[in-house]
Amino acid sequence: MSSHTHEEILATVTEIVAAELGVPAAELPPLRDLREVEGADSVKILRSVAKIERRYDIEMDDDDVFSLRCLDDAAAVIAKTLAQGRA
Amino acid sequence: MRVADTNQHYDLDPAIFGSFLDPLRKYSCGLYQAHDDTLETAQLRKLRFVADRLGLRGGERVLDVGCGWGSLVLFLARELGCSVVGVSPAPHQVAYVTGRAAQLGLAGRVQVQQGHFETVDLGRGGFDAVTMLGSIVHMPDLAGAYRKARVLVRRGGMLYVSESCFRNAALRERFSGESADIFVRDGIFGWGDMRPLSELVRAAEEAGLSMVSLDDLTDHYRRTISDWLANVRSHQETIDGTYPGMAARLVRYLETANAGWGYTTKHYALVCRAAR
Repeated sequence: MSSHTHEEILATVTEIVAAELGVPAAELPPLRDLREVEGADSVKILRSVAKIERRYDIEMDDDDVFSLRCLDDAAAVIAKTLAQGRA
Repeated sequence: MRVADTNQHYDLDPAIFGSFLDPLRKYSCGLYQAHDDTLETAQLRKLRFVADRLGLRGGERVLDVGCGWGSLVLFLARELGCSVVGVSPAPHQVAYVTGRAAQLGLAGRVQVQQGHFETVDLGRGGFDAVTMLGSIVHMPDLAGAYRKARVLVRRGGMLYVSESCFRNAALRERFSGESADIFVRDGIFGWGDMRPLSELVRAAEEAGLSMVSLDDLTDHYRRTISDWLANVRSHQETIDGTYPGMAARLVRYLETANAGWGYTTKHYALVCRAAR
């Protein structure tokens, strides 16, 4: 599945997280700290992670799951996990 | 914080729980097999699972600590002819289970004591089995709870504990101060401590118990809570009619619990024997 580009992954992640946080995708630029988004909390972020893992059929490292700060981080972790063949 | 404070959730009007739990009002994890299993089917299967894990064949004396609305107490008395003592600190639960036992003609085999397990007088003990489904989480003195259970069970008797646990000590340290965890622990229950499994095992060892089995029920609890959530949403008006705003609080609590399974929390069933 190495055909995913960073931009494609970022677009997918933005869509999933925006739906979970209940905000327009435009409010989630790639480097924005998710915890600063109004209405975001650890529960919604964890639910986003679960949806992302299901979408890509992957299991991210715990360290990555609990240190995600922004969508760009998430896209990088997904790309890394896919590249490691941990799907 | 005292254990007494854990009454606040469990002592709500039992009708609230009737609106989102299964007909037996079992307020703990079910056991699912097929993709179309109902909540009722899963809870009944789980009651049989508990009896199987304990090796109950019928007629035994069983103590159920934190008996809730009596699903296990009444099941063991009715299906297996066991003599069962239930303990709950919540007056509404005690009255409910006592009433159900009388309705079902089980009053002679079911006794329910109101009080906290740590302090309630349970007589000479000698129980063939002691069960604690989701109750140790509300007891501040874990070692004391295991020691008391060990004293109350006969030699060779069994102890079943199922509990929600942080996945490890580091995650507990990190997340037990998060607002979502504080809301569930203090805002819903009053007190609770989701100790990692290792702490439960250690307390069991130190009480002199031998480990018999360990089951990971995490996925089953996620599905149980999804079923409860669907029921809360479809009975929102009834719930809010009794306690305005309660449906939203229940949804937040249940969604928080379900977001954490596997990531921050697990649900395990640990069975021990009182034997060398």
